[in-house]
Amino acid sequence: MGDQVLAALSQYGSPALFAAVMVAAIGVPLPVTLLLVVTGSLISQGVMNFWWSIGVASAGSIAGDQIGYVIGRWGGTKLVSKCIALLGGRERLAQAEAKARRWGGWGVFFSRWLVSPLGPWINFASGIAEYSWVRFAVWDVLGEVLGVVLFIMLGRTFSDRILALDAVLGDFTWAFVALVAALALGWKIWTAMRNRRKS
Amino acid sequence: MRRPSNLLILAVAFLVAIAGTFVFGYRAGRYAHRLRLENEPIRSWMSLPFIAHIHHVPPELLFRAIGLEPVPHDRRPLRAIARAEHRPVSDLIRDLDKALESTGHMHPALRPPPAGKGS
Repeated sequence: MGDQVLAALSQYGSPALFAAVMVAAIGVPLPVTLLLVVTGSLISQGVMNFWWSIGVASAGSIAGDQIGYVIGRWGGTKLVSKCIALLGGRERLAQAEAKARRWGGWGVFFSRWLVSPLGPWINFASGIAEYSWVRFAVWDVLGEVLGVVLFIMLGRTFSDRILALDAVLGDFTWAFVALVAALALGWKIWTAMRNRRKS
Repeated sequence: MRRPSNLLILAVAFLVAIAGTFVFGYRAGRYAHRLRLENEPIRSWMSLPFIAHIHHVPPELLFRAIGLEPVPHDRRPLRAIARAEHRPVSDLIRDLDKALESTGHMHPALRPPPAGKGS
């Protein structure tokens, strides 16, 4: 499916970009980072317009995020259950919900661009956890615009190296996630050992 | 059988996370190195002008390589061209690769410095 979406972007430009990023933000697994990087490359080739592309990609992502939030908050039990099944199960949703409550705005912000695979889960979980819509919307807009600008600029700079760049970004994201997990686990181990020594 | 303690589970998870950091970090570094040194492969979603851009060759060369008259704003992806021409995409990619090889195409970062410059 990723190749079809990239082909559509290459052929139709902005409408395909808007539809793809919106659908991806709702939870359909599409290579959004590569889409944005390719958009940057198309901009450097003069095929697409820089500001227009940033506007279209940001609007599409934000619209998709809002749909996810609305489904979580007001979608009703049946629709929510369907979406949970589509996204992979109640257990993962419970994890995302816990993160949404714990991290709040920062969770929304960083899941827009730094750990983007978590994005659709956080949208949904924020709705279910009844996280303030205004706060969600503010962090969502900030995170999405930053992510869109960042990846489009990278694509524009490395316009002839998009596949290699996508591979770097993918592995960098996972390295970062693993590092954060290592730090959190290290902290837990350290506090557990300290408590043991005390008792 | 005795259940492993929570601390042991945390320690194993910690080691896995550390390993993940190094593995993905190393891979990211390796790809970053290749970012400068390797040509991009051709994919079925790319248009001919797009391929021409990433390989730094004129688009006309690629149009002719697959037997088409050059059209300046033809943004069709290879898969659409293959459908229209009733040819498999792999055939088109092979022809394009051949054409790129025949030009002695090399990414600017890989080209040796011009004679007389450097040591």
